[in-house]
Amino acid sequence: MGYGDKGRPNKRLKASAKFENIGEDVYFGEEADDDHRDGEGRQEKQDFSKLELKPDHSNRPLWACGDGRIFLETFSPLYKQAYDFLIAIAEPVCRPESMHEYNLTPHSLYAAVSVGLETETIISVLNKLSKTKLPQEMRDFIEKSTANYGKVKLVLKKNRYLVESPFPEVLNKLLRDEVIGRARITSEGANGRDGFTVSKVIGDIGGGGGHDELLNEAELAAAAEEKETHSFEIDPSQVENVKQRCLPNALNYPMLEEYDFRNDTVNPDLDMELKPQAQPRPYQEKSLSKMFGNGRARSGIIVLPCGAGKSLVGVSAASRIKKSCLCLATNAVSVDQWAFQFKLWSTIRDEQICRFTSDSKERFRGNAGVVVTTYNMVAFGGKRSEESEKIIEEIRNREWGLLLMDEVHVVPAHMFRKVISITKSHCKLGLTATLVREDERITDLNFLIGPKLYEANWLDLVKGGFIANVQCAEVWCPMTKEFFAEYLKKENSKKKQALYVMNPNKFRACEFLIRFHEQQRGDKIIVFADNLFALTEYAMKLRKPMIYGATSHVERTKILQAFKTSRDVNTVFLSKVGDNSIDIPEANVIIQISSHAGSRRQEAQRLGRILRAKGRLQDRMAGGKEEYNAFFYSLVSTDTQEMYYSTKRQQFLIDQGYSFKVITSLPPSDTGADLSYHRLEDQLALLGKVLSAGDDAVGLEQLEEDADDIALHKARYSMKSMSAMSGANGMVYMEYSTGHKGQMKSKPKDPTKRHHLFKKRFG
Amino acid sequence: MPQVKIIAKNFMDMVSSLPAMKLDKLYENAFICEAILRSLQPLAKKYVLQMLYIDTLVAAKLMEEWVLPDWFSKHRVALDRLLQLRIFTETVDRKKEKMYRINSTFQKNLQKLLVHGEVLPREPMPPNTVRLPSLEDLEAYALAQWEFFLLQLISSNQAERSSSISSAMLKVFKRGLLSQRDKEAPKLTESGFQFLLMDTNAQLWYIIREYISNSEERGVDSADLISFLLELSFHVTGEAYNLNTLNDVQRITIKDLADLGLVKLQQGRKESWFIPTKLVTNLSASLTDSSSRKQGFVVVETNFRMYAYSTSKLLCEILQQFASLEYQLPNLIVSAITKDSIYNAFEKGITADQIISFLQQNAHPRVALRIPSVPENVTDQIRLWESDRNRVEITPAHYYDEFPSREVFEAACDCAREWNGLLWEDSKKMRMVVKAEAHMHVREYLRRQK
Repeated sequence: MGYGDKGRPNKRLKASAKFENIGEDVYFGEEADDDHRDGEGRQEKQDFSKLELKPDHSNRPLWACGDGRIFLETFSPLYKQAYDFLIAIAEPVCRPESMHEYNLTPHSLYAAVSVGLETETIISVLNKLSKTKLPQEMRDFIEKSTANYGKVKLVLKKNRYLVESPFPEVLNKLLRDEVIGRARITSEGANGRDGFTVSKVIGDIGGGGGHDELLNEAELAAAAEEKETHSFEIDPSQVENVKQRCLPNALNYPMLEEYDFRNDTVNPDLDMELKPQAQPRPYQEKSLSKMFGNGRARSGIIVLPCGAGKSLVGVSAASRIKKSCLCLATNAVSVDQWAFQFKLWSTIRDEQICRFTSDSKERFRGNAGVVVTTYNMVAFGGKRSEESEKIIEEIRNREWGLLLMDEVHVVPAHMFRKVISITKSHCKLGLTATLVREDERITDLNFLIGPKLYEANWLDLVKGGFIANVQCAEVWCPMTKEFFAEYLKKENSKKKQALYVMNPNKFRACEFLIRFHEQQRGDKIIVFADNLFALTEYAMKLRKPMIYGATSHVERTKILQAFKTSRDVNTVFLSKVGDNSIDIPEANVIIQISSHAGSRRQEAQRLGRILRAKGRLQDRMAGGKEEYNAFFYSLVSTDTQEMYYSTKRQQFLIDQGYSFKVITSLPPSDTGADLSYHRLEDQLALLGKVLSAGDDAVGLEQLEEDADDIALHKARYSMKSMSAMSGANGMVYMEYSTGHKGQMKSKPKDPTKRHHLFKKRFG
Repeated sequence: MPQVKIIAKNFMDMVSSLPAMKLDKLYENAFICEAILRSLQPLAKKYVLQMLYIDTLVAAKLMEEWVLPDWFSKHRVALDRLLQLRIFTETVDRKKEKMYRINSTFQKNLQKLLVHGEVLPREPMPPNTVRLPSLEDLEAYALAQWEFFLLQLISSNQAERSSSISSAMLKVFKRGLLSQRDKEAPKLTESGFQFLLMDTNAQLWYIIREYISNSEERGVDSADLISFLLELSFHVTGEAYNLNTLNDVQRITIKDLADLGLVKLQQGRKESWFIPTKLVTNLSASLTDSSSRKQGFVVVETNFRMYAYSTSKLLCEILQQFASLEYQLPNLIVSAITKDSIYNAFEKGITADQIISFLQQNAHPRVALRIPSVPENVTDQIRLWESDRNRVEITPAHYYDEFPSREVFEAACDCAREWNGLLWEDSKKMRMVVKAEAHMHVREYLRRQK
């Protein structure tokens, strides 16, 4: 025993130490900035017992440590206010039932500043909530981190790009920079000192939101006072360069982007309103209020779990801005779904909305509208058809009021750069369920899109009945003797995955669960398998429909339709194409038979498929009739790599307060004679089949050339840092390669080695 | 109560196990008689009172008539207990009828008590002569002293181990709880760790029991000690008693007890006195029931993080036995339960059940009402880790390879088999693994072959 014992955070720290840059772009991250905060210290117990407790500490909800860690009691009467405040200034590390942990990071403080909180406010509110006197280190850290953040704003006003700041000295400093100095356009109406335009704006009220009651009246009055701002205009063509110069690796005055859409008279209005039945839920309101806090639209990211109604937030934002909107999704199915959501929630007319995918190339009529397309379609670098070339030209030339980006966590950063540089938008809104990324260059996503504006607490949403209450279970399937013997053999190293996925005990557990949920509960089930060999074997043997990368759009739609409506189709097998964006609201059971190594994001994403709450609200609420209304099973073969991955994968969900129940005997020992592979001969036949299959046939599914799915896996097989995106220190984790590293990155050149399912696509 | 190897039975069991001679001597003390009477079950108590003024033998048959047939088993239990404690003695008369009579010393003492009423073992000192601490202060003192004492036990740092604890008490610990090799710092043994996870009453009882059973070595009569300890429990908490009312043995004992926080010693200009704390006045009672629970302080979350509302250094040390500490705040200890930390605990001989029951018993009121108070996935996981560990059995063995020929290999295999020591063989590559017990024989056999 001892302090050096490797707890979770230590492991993460180790991973961050091994951080490596892969890729062609030069990376200027915040990594160095983060590092000084975790340093070696986390190895040892952090002793803050010397902090002075306030006499009335039991009434206050949190402890703040000098290293940025904050602990919040959820049973405190001040919990709600404290939560709203903390989520604005810090990154959640874990949020189980009784005690939350947060980390204060430069990025989280950047986000705080950008929603209108000021340094003094942050410190004084934190001090009010804290049980102890605020440690000096923390005060210093907040002051240091926020000194430069939020001082400068980039505002698009009447189609002029203005650099705005309440501090003329900061503007002067910026202008001294060569690039920015050159980009400046001297306007005639300049009236202030130094030739800056001076205007008055109403102080930020919305951003403070729920924290106001925590401040005393004097502070509140100060916040609501009018403030003088100074500004100068810059050349629109130089905007990207100027922004670049302001990033932390240069001048370190990152610019907040705001869009004064009410005063935008140049871009035509789009006539759309939310329909009356579209009633945003409290947390949706809150996330929107962060975005539109001061009457302008801020760019940033909103994090809501799947099924919590991200699309309504997106549609509401578009309806508030009422300008042309470009909506980016990850694949064609999800494009259809977004178009549907727009029509469902808003009064937009059919001719004002269009989809742009490889299959459907529509154009909207009128001078303003909504275009829904995929990241790939916009970022695609190769040759396009004449028709799509025209549409993409239009997208390039238009000034978009809102760039709505779905699933920002799955799109590689370079894709973002490209998309953002191609499209001109006044305001960017990123939506995601999980801010965990398995991508290396996400660090500056904060600056590409904007800070995180809001992040909902999963457990609170579960308690409120807004998302399903999921029973998570890890089913331990012992390897059969024969399979395990083969698994251990060196010559089968490439077949390891196939062996533990095809483990007959796992198959039987899966079959048992499908039967149980179909027959006893009448549930709708999704079975996930990353391993294509296993997917086909399972689906064929159990005679269930399956969807994988090569399934055509038409066939996908057909299968999903049948799953939605038919009483006879209650189970569907999905490869990892089903991880994102395929919306299957009917499903409430997930059985995961194989997965992508230790990817936390995939696990969360898959769980998200069944989070949409079903049934009546009062049954779902805490204390309602049904305790659990959705089920997530992860089947793992014991004593194999899978066990190890499984622990890694669950980390994100566990940090959100989910718990995995371990089930050790499935099917129950007294049953199961009627399930497949009961007899040893059958098991051996299966083993033979696995062993005789080619090595590449039993590997992971490869989606390289799939037009709809962004090459998600491209960046996955390396160690990554997501500290910037989530901002959390120590939230760095390791992605474990399954040994296919090299193989995965390039598609097999030799057509004979290609998987038989892909042959026809290349043949 | 956790299922532990140290069986923490109660004080009276200890008394009843004393030899007859000592028991009889013990009953000369009126306070013991009273304490024993209090500790009896209702039926046994009734029998004692019923026999209080009967000087003759009572036939067993007659006594059986006192109860309804349905309750005969209870009657038996009560009688057995009384016989065990030698309050009743059994004789067989000429007709081979069983007869019982009450212990006369015991009887006389109780009669006296009934007539004269309760007297205190000794008079407290008049309040104006000494300055007494308030009851709260006294309790705080007792707890602090108790914690300090336990901390001595586990503090890994030799320097922190102060010498203020009397050697008699440390000896108690060394027996069983601590092991010391030559010049190394003493280490906790398996039962030592188990001891730490027990609740305070059980711990106190364990120590007292060891203290009593060790007494002979120190030249103290165990009956004297028991009677003094029981006598102490009749003193009034918070009053001062002059030390010069005690004999030498008692004075030494009082000093040992002060180390545990059972009494507080104070010194005036001329006289010294001791003040009993709650720990000692509850001694006979608290050792038999464990209902007087401290308020819990531990919150375990589903993500295996543990938050303990405590400032205690002792607790810190205890938690460290099975969790890795991450933060220490003024009134909160943050730690994580990990596979490594739990394995560490297993290594020290702590079992999954002990950890779980420790967590459950000390659950913070906020989560104590929740069922289960410790998340199921955490308890399941701790148990699974344990069973996982038990899956592998380690057998010391020797590995043989590079046999000169197949004949030699096969002969060696046969030899090992004969000694029932062949664990594994690979006839293709001619390798085998032999149990350590059989190794000598196989080696000898192979040598002879050469």
